Amino acid sequence: MTASNEILSLRNLTVDFGGVRAVNDVSLSLQRGEMVALIGPNGAGKTTIFNLITSAVQPTAGEILLNGKSILRKSPDQICRLGISRTFQNIRLFPQMTAYENVELGLHSTPHYSLAEAFVRTPRARQIENDTRKKALELLEMVNLQEYAHARAASLPYGLQRRLEIARAMATSPQLLLLDEPAAGMNEDECNELIELIRKIHQQMQYTIIIIEHHMAVVMELCRDSRIYVLNLGSLLAVGSPQEIQNNPDVIRAYLGERKNARDFSAS
Amino acid sequence: MELFIQQLVSGVSIGAIYALLAVGYALVYSVYNFTNWAFDAFMAFGAFMAFVGISSLFMPFWLAMILSILLTILLSVGAESMAYRPLRERKAPRLFMMISAMGVNLAVVNIINLIFGGTFRKFPVESVQPIFVGNVSIGRMDLIAGLISFGVLALLWLFLYRTRWGLGIRASAIDIQTAALMGINNNAVAIIIFVITGVLSAIAGVFYGIKYAVYPMMGIVTIKAMIASIVGGLGSLPAAIVGSMLLGVLETLVSGYISSSYRDLFSFLFLIVILLFFPNGLMGKNVDEKL
Amino acid sequence: MGYINAIIILAGINIIAALGVAILTGYTGLFSIGHAGFMALGGYFSAILVKEFGVHFVPALLAGGLFAGLTSFIIGYPAFRSRLRGDYFAIATLGFSEAIRLILNNTREIGFIKTGAAFGYMNIPGHTNLWVVIGAVVLAIYFAHMFVTSQYGKNCIAIGQDEVAAQMMGVDLLKTKLLALFISAFYAGVAGGLLGFYFAYLSPSFFTITKSSDLLAAVVFGGIQSLIGPVVTAFILIAVPEVLRALAEWRLIIYGFLFVVVMIYRPQGLFGYVEMNLHFARAWWQRLRRPVAER
Repeated sequence: MTASNEILSLRNLTVDFGGVRAVNDVSLSLQRGEMVALIGPNGAGKTTIFNLITSAVQPTAGEILLNGKSILRKSPDQICRLGISRTFQNIRLFPQMTAYENVELGLHSTPHYSLAEAFVRTPRARQIENDTRKKALELLEMVNLQEYAHARAASLPYGLQRRLEIARAMATSPQLLLLDEPAAGMNEDECNELIELIRKIHQQMQYTIIIIEHHMAVVMELCRDSRIYVLNLGSLLAVGSPQEIQNNPDVIRAYLGERKNARDFSAS
Repeated sequence: MELFIQQLVSGVSIGAIYALLAVGYALVYSVYNFTNWAFDAFMAFGAFMAFVGISSLFMPFWLAMILSILLTILLSVGAESMAYRPLRERKAPRLFMMISAMGVNLAVVNIINLIFGGTFRKFPVESVQPIFVGNVSIGRMDLIAGLISFGVLALLWLFLYRTRWGLGIRASAIDIQTAALMGINNNAVAIIIFVITGVLSAIAGVFYGIKYAVYPMMGIVTIKAMIASIVGGLGSLPAAIVGSMLLGVLETLVSGYISSSYRDLFSFLFLIVILLFFPNGLMGKNVDEKL
Repeated sequence: MGYINAIIILAGINIIAALGVAILTGYTGLFSIGHAGFMALGGYFSAILVKEFGVHFVPALLAGGLFAGLTSFIIGYPAFRSRLRGDYFAIATLGFSEAIRLILNNTREIGFIKTGAAFGYMNIPGHTNLWVVIGAVVLAIYFAHMFVTSQYGKNCIAIGQDEVAAQMMGVDLLKTKLLALFISAFYAGVAGGLLGFYFAYLSPSFFTITKSSDLLAAVVFGGIQSLIGPVVTAFILIAVPEVLRALAEWRLIIYGFLFVVVMIYRPQGLFGYVEMNLHFARAWWQRLRRPVAER
């Protein structure tokens, strides 16, 4: 693996929130096309790391490099245009828009025609809108939501909303996709479908993916051939293959602090 | 020099009135994240109630003040339970809260206008001789307004930082949902907050009425308090007080040395300059939405 | 007939300004209570161009709109740059419109132009008639519709629904909000111009908070994210008090109560989220054709 293949690098990231160290000296490096997981008990700072990467939060110290270039102090929309997209732990779809419109937004968040063309809607602008529409429907099909295209996002069941968020994130044509607890609240069947889906988009779209997840079965399955990063109290506790992580005494101890997750953990 | 000191005292006293209002905004904002647009109506209401108490019911000043405070508390808590609580409970967007508050404002101000007419009235207190310190004359009412305002703010501080209820309010300001989970009654917090809001707006209304005049649209001055709380930093009580003092003094100096017709213009330009160079106010923190 | 003419003209002007507020408040979710200020700016600017410089009134109206639009950046830029949404901006709009009114109230003349301070700017050529207003309303609705259904307009809607998510999906918040504000102020400016050319004079007292509240009311009652709603209510809100004079002094009180009631019981307004488009008409038609039992 050469250094030029590195897509994302977090170097010694630290964040303080009013005296509380939410993230402490975390470093992480990702190669193009990898899919890794970020796990850890609640409050370990996982979502904060996503917020750092997408510039929703600025680090107190450290550096974030995308394709070797610093992306610190850029606005979240610039980060998105540079090719990083995400989903949210607490779903944040546009509630009154349809599923289709949600995905479409990701495609045209930077409009593809001029303002003048918007007012008179030239044939070129109409053509662009048609292309966008087709692409949005394709994406919906990819996450199996085509039949819900014209349903209001807020009216969709929880599991479908999570899939819709993935489609919307894909619409911004990212290189790096950050999935924040995509399996939260799903039953086993839905989890299996989700695993299929994430695998499919990972292979077809050649995304690099970081996934935060509490369902250990999902994590272990998706990261079979890659790494899992374990975060505890803001610090990186361990890195390794699913087997290594499962047998790491520090990790087990960290998880035993939290009953529910410990159960998840042993169940896998 | 005498003029300067006179202006300074006058500026501090008007600043103290702004501070009462700004703290009221900041309190509601810090817990509910929306600007209580009805506040200016409460203020005008408070001023009119005291006015009625003195001129029609022949009450002494202090009694009229108490009457005004009590009635304004009723109005404030009434507005909260009828216009805000239903929206809060179904977690309506903030825009809806603002529109609802705007509605309360429109209704109350225009009811006052309908009953009393739009004319400017002099507040019925006897004008008293100013106090002279050397060659500097200081308005007695300025002094009283300043002292009472600061006294009220000090009491509020004690309440918020030295009582269990105050602790509940501060916890709600950090995270209202978690506070509720920890056993803090959200509705009780809301009632306390809007009682405080009522007290603050009534006192501010009375003193502002004394300093200038009583009229239905007098609440427009609350825009100054909003400017002050933005200048200080939205959602923080000390910042609101600092912003108010600063604005009160600066604009009094502007009207003293330049022209009183440019006083309001100045406040607005001041706001723009602050927003340009201190986007979070002078003392405000960068507030990030929780993801 | 003249009376009905007058009502239609005033209602038309109100519709154009309300469309501006609809784009900003209804679609982009930015609360404005200062659109009267933009009307004043556009009104005085275009009136001065026509009266003092002999410009034809149509380009003068557009220039007035442009002037209002550009001036809006004075509040838009500092308010949108800071991350707290809504409140800063709403306060800034109110302060801005009051500042404009104060300046006009205290300005007797700008160079050789006698703007007349509180007495008003007199003897503006009367160009606004029924047909001009109808033409302007049709164009205003058409272009507003084109905008809100364009990719730019949809980005505005996204900001209105979830600003943080919109930004994370790549929407440039500052640019998009400034664009919505510019268009919105442009509409208000043109409406102000038409008003001046109708009354043949302009006074700072036309452009008070009451005017801004009227415009906001049209959008709140008409509905969030709708053009047809504000158009209908902007018309009703002018026509009804004109016809029922007795209601005049109760008008704002009723508006106030309705604001609260609408937010609590029907926050989408009369026509919220309903687009004036064929898609909607088709869906409605299909609903009608379906047997009653299925409805």
